[in-house]
Amino acid sequence: MELLQQYFQSSIGKKQIVALTGLMLIGFILGHLAGNLLIFKGPEALNAYAHKLASMRPAMYGVELALAGTFLLHICLTVYLFFYNNEARPIAYGYYQPTDRSISTRLMPYTGTLLAAFVIWHLLDFTFSDQTGTLSLVGKESLGLYGVVVNAFKIQWHSGLYILAMCAIGFHLTHGFQSFMQSLGLNHPKYTPVIKIISVFLGLAVAAIFSSIPLYVMFFARIP
Amino acid sequence: MATLNSKIPDGPMKDKWTSHKSKIKLVNAANKRKYHIIVVGTGLAGASAAASLSELGYNVNVFCIQDSPRRAHSIAAQGGINAAKNYPNDGDSIMRLFYDTVKGGDFRSREANVHRLAEVSNNIIDQCVAQGVPFGREYAGYLDNRSFGGAQVSRTFYARGQTGQQLLLGAYSALMKEVGRGTVKMYPRMEMLELVVIDGVARGIVVRNSVTGEISSHAADAVVLATGGYANVFYLSTNAKACNVTAAWRAYKKGATFANPCYTQIHPTCIPVHGDYQSKLTLMSESLRNDGRVWVPKKAGDKRKPSEIPQEERDYYLERKYPSFGNLVPRDLASRNAKFVSDEGKGVGQTGMAVYLDFADSIARLGKKVIEERYGNLFDMYECITGSNGYQEPMMIYPAPHYSMGGLWVDYNLMSNLPGLFVIGEANFSDHGANRLGASALMQGLADGYFVLPYTIGDYLAGSSWGKTAVNHAAFTEAEQQVKERIQKLLNIKGKKTVAEFHRQLGRIMWNKCGMSRNEKGLKEALEEIPKVREEFSKNLALLGSGNELNQSLDNALRVSELMEFSELLVRDALYRKESCGGHFREESQTPEGEAQRDDEKFCHVGAWEYKGAGQTPTLNVEPLEFQEVHLAQRSYK
Amino acid sequence: MEQTMKLTLKVWRQKDKNAKGAFESYQADNIDAAMSFLEMLDVVNEKLTKEGIEPIAFDHDCREGICGMCGAVVNGRPHGPRKETTLCQLHMRHFQNNDTITIEPWRAKAFPVIRDLAVDRSAFDRILAKGGYISVKTGCAPDASVMLVSRENSELAMDAAACIGCGACVAGCPNASAMLFVGGKISHLGLLPQGRIEAKKRAVNMVKKMDDEGFGACSNEYECQAVCPKKLSVSNIARMNRDYILGSAD
Ligand SMILES: Cc1cc2nc3c(=O)[nH]c(=O)nc-3n(C[C@H](O)[C@H](O)[C@H](O)COP(=O)(O)OP(=O)(O)OC[C@H]3O[C@@H](n4cnc5c(N)ncnc54)[C@H](O)[C@@H]3O)c2cc1C
Ligand code: HEM
Ligand code: FES
Repeated sequence: MELLQQYFQSSIGKKQIVALTGLMLIGFILGHLAGNLLIFKGPEALNAYAHKLASMRPAMYGVELALAGTFLLHICLTVYLFFYNNEARPIAYGYYQPTDRSISTRLMPYTGTLLAAFVIWHLLDFTFSDQTGTLSLVGKESLGLYGVVVNAFKIQWHSGLYILAMCAIGFHLTHGFQSFMQSLGLNHPKYTPVIKIISVFLGLAVAAIFSSIPLYVMFFARIP
Repeated sequence: MATLNSKIPDGPMKDKWTSHKSKIKLVNAANKRKYHIIVVGTGLAGASAAASLSELGYNVNVFCIQDSPRRAHSIAAQGGINAAKNYPNDGDSIMRLFYDTVKGGDFRSREANVHRLAEVSNNIIDQCVAQGVPFGREYAGYLDNRSFGGAQVSRTFYARGQTGQQLLLGAYSALMKEVGRGTVKMYPRMEMLELVVIDGVARGIVVRNSVTGEISSHAADAVVLATGGYANVFYLSTNAKACNVTAAWRAYKKGATFANPCYTQIHPTCIPVHGDYQSKLTLMSESLRNDGRVWVPKKAGDKRKPSEIPQEERDYYLERKYPSFGNLVPRDLASRNAKFVSDEGKGVGQTGMAVYLDFADSIARLGKKVIEERYGNLFDMYECITGSNGYQEPMMIYPAPHYSMGGLWVDYNLMSNLPGLFVIGEANFSDHGANRLGASALMQGLADGYFVLPYTIGDYLAGSSWGKTAVNHAAFTEAEQQVKERIQKLLNIKGKKTVAEFHRQLGRIMWNKCGMSRNEKGLKEALEEIPKVREEFSKNLALLGSGNELNQSLDNALRVSELMEFSELLVRDALYRKESCGGHFREESQTPEGEAQRDDEKFCHVGAWEYKGAGQTPTLNVEPLEFQEVHLAQRSYK
Repeated sequence: MEQTMKLTLKVWRQKDKNAKGAFESYQADNIDAAMSFLEMLDVVNEKLTKEGIEPIAFDHDCREGICGMCGAVVNGRPHGPRKETTLCQLHMRHFQNNDTITIEPWRAKAFPVIRDLAVDRSAFDRILAKGGYISVKTGCAPDASVMLVSRENSELAMDAAACIGCGACVAGCPNASAMLFVGGKISHLGLLPQGRIEAKKRAVNMVKKMDDEGFGACSNEYECQAVCPKKLSVSNIARMNRDYILGSAD
């Protein structure tokens, strides 16, 4: 028990929890992404998916709660570590020129913060929106969630912000994926270099695929 | 007159150590914690001794100059450590290691000590492996050995080119284990400036905290000096900058005798000097001589590029003069011959003070890849320092001061003639005679620290009583006062010349007059010049700051002032020893072919100098050397 | 053949631990390209001494890149601009005439400056005293050949053991984290069969001490590896992380 407590208090323990929660969030993101892609199949598919999830409600609350917890834990610990790490160098260098860390690494706290803000906005915007109200109307007909999404993305600044957030996710994952392996001690002379490459592709892919939705809506989607 | 009783045990050579161990007095296990021992120095010798003594139950206080015990000069040793394991099955044995070391030392070491060294050499390897020293291994997981420094068997264990580092980190880890247990108290950045002797017995030390300048006293039942060698008396040497003679010299001035100070080793494969600003010389492992061929142009003053000098105009002088050992002759021969050819005007490079070490033939024979595998780090180091590529053109090397075989005199128990003062590692005179073989200093330091001192110190302690000395004894207050005065005196000079300038000046005298080759005239000149430098030092030293702060110039000034006093003793000893032996080459004593000529009639002894007071000539005490097992013979590597 | 250089040095001067420091500018003339960086500082110090200015304090000893005593942040990089090179092995040929060079001490809460460029790194020793060893006493070791170690592990252990404890990893890390130093020791010992026995306990105890000393956490930026003069790899940190989980689950 004492050891466990020590683990949570330690720098490495915290970092490993960040890694684990990060991993869970990646899982969620990928699942979410798969769901979102149904938009390309049209309103029926997407709305059916949304209803399916809604119909699983009582159980779904548990999942959502866990997800929220994961998010919060991830955020609290990373914010804590951010300040903890700043404290370790009370007097800054006059001239400091790191060479090896990548942009994605350097941006972690900022892409993270952006994501937190995005998540709140996104929830208000889509998840908690009135999916049968005026925002869901396409022409005169309510198209449910599909309608909400399409209407939202028809607004340029709306899509722009969304794409920006997706770039943030891309960057976050480019560092995050290989980083969680390292944090959990999964390092191997042969596979680690491959993981690093995968990490970049994952970031790129997630950013590109998510962004394809507003782009599709803006430029290609026929409104039925 | 000091009495030098070597206390060599009776009996046949091979039984001496075993029987001695079974006879020496023991300290009761329960009483050990009542004894306090001071260890000064955390090199291989000091760290291993301190850790082992603490494991036995003694209370140990350890001091070192650097900010961490791990940084002692031992860290820089590259090549390896010898042991008579005979893993390669090439006929090695304790007897053979013993024999080689006595012969290598040119018959100026104490046989019984050397035999003991060879005996415990194997335990050292066991101990180090158990500590996690990552010695080089073969693919099947067995320990690998290489041949080193001209030995005809492969008995050298190594950890890449960083053997000293790894062995020291092993000893240091053992030390930190004891620090963690609370039985060793570690005092880094503390420099010993005085030994305190009460009623003829070593009772403690006075140290200066180099960060705060605080002077403090520490009392103990025994004081162990593991303070390393004095090659920095030459200013430019391969030693770390902080290497000094202060502790040993202070002990000498308190009555410990100083043995064979003239035995200094000049290492043949160092990177040549290239400017006045140069602060130290870098050694490259002599394993390079396994595959590199040493040569100079036949014609004096030949300034052509090495690639333009055809084979027949090159003089591979080591291969020519010593056909059976060739480039692998012992260090003293390799060094001396480099000096001779350079003095003849055949030296190469800008200064003419260098010879070529050429790998072209080996690269042609084995391929660049093999050479790279064997010595890649050394080639990199050479390129890092000189900016030139040793694969493409021959390296340039020149000898540099490297090691001091002389040191404080100790008996078989490693105790000096002052009861309670023990001296281990390079700081004592012990086992290497007049010349040290490669890979045997590491062996000696660890033998002393792990396997000899922990036993022999008990013999002394069991016969003494514990805990009677306290730092409030008048002798400590007086010593502290003197140390403070010494410091203040230096700070009061307020002259114009920096410490480094004086050190350089001293070094030049020592190198030119008492370096690789010595003669009466030069030595006498040195004896006249050194006091003049000292005189000027006391009048014209530029030293800023105070004694109550981190003041590195003051640290240096203190060290250099001791080296200056000591250098005179070194020269005096060189003058006294009219024979050539090992690293000490007296031009008056050579064979018709120009080889060193020992004089066993007159000089088959240890010469230990005794301090007689300021301004007095020291007196010489003699410990005759007897050779039971290895018969006196002129060394020949023809 | 070798031309000399003229340089401007911007050096951090700080009288002692409690003093407030500041940058001072000094002129360094007649600097030979073959000098090492520390020899250049020697030359400047001699000049300063003669001018009655107290010389710049900096730690050094072996000047061969092995003792780990030297180190300063030169132009924003620990040990200066050359990879895998300690400050004492950095030569002036890597600078240009008329360059301005900024020289600062290692900066970290756990490494207080004691004067100018010299810092107190004793935190490293205190961490190692908590487990940076194999608990074997002198005299009880079995014959060295009874225990075989695969060459691969032995080489990896040696890679990790090559650490010189200079602290550049801490100085270079944006978080002043000591993970590479600690991970190096944990890997070195943990990769060997004789060190494996205590591996988990070692990781837990050393990491605790590391945290208590005030070093930052790792955010996998790998700057430590980039500035390490002995090429220690961040895979050593991963190994530590692994042993740390195992140790904490025990
Ligand atoms: C470049 C180089 C390469 C070498 N390679 C090899 C090799 O391959 N094989 C081999 O066998 N040998 C080698 N040697 C020789 C060998 O390294 C040394 O002789 C040996 O390590 C000395 O160990 P030591 O413990 O006696 O002293 P050191 O390691 O010199 O330690 C001296 C200690 O004493 C402390 N000290 C000194 N004075 C004071 C004082 N006044 N107050 C407080 N503390 C003090 C220092 O801080 C230090 O901790 C090499 C030497 C050099 C220079
Ligand atoms: C979509 C949601 C998110 C996912 C998939 C995700 C994923 C990850 C992953 C995998 C890591 C690497 C863990 C490691 O280095 O071991 C990580 C680190 C990090 N995350 Fe997130 N994250 C998300 C949201 C956030 C949010 C909202 C923040 C907001 C503050 C944030 C801040 C950080 C920071 C600062 C780090 C670096 C921590 C460190 O290195 O110490 N992340 N994230
Ligand atoms: S002085 Fe020893 S590493 Fe630089």
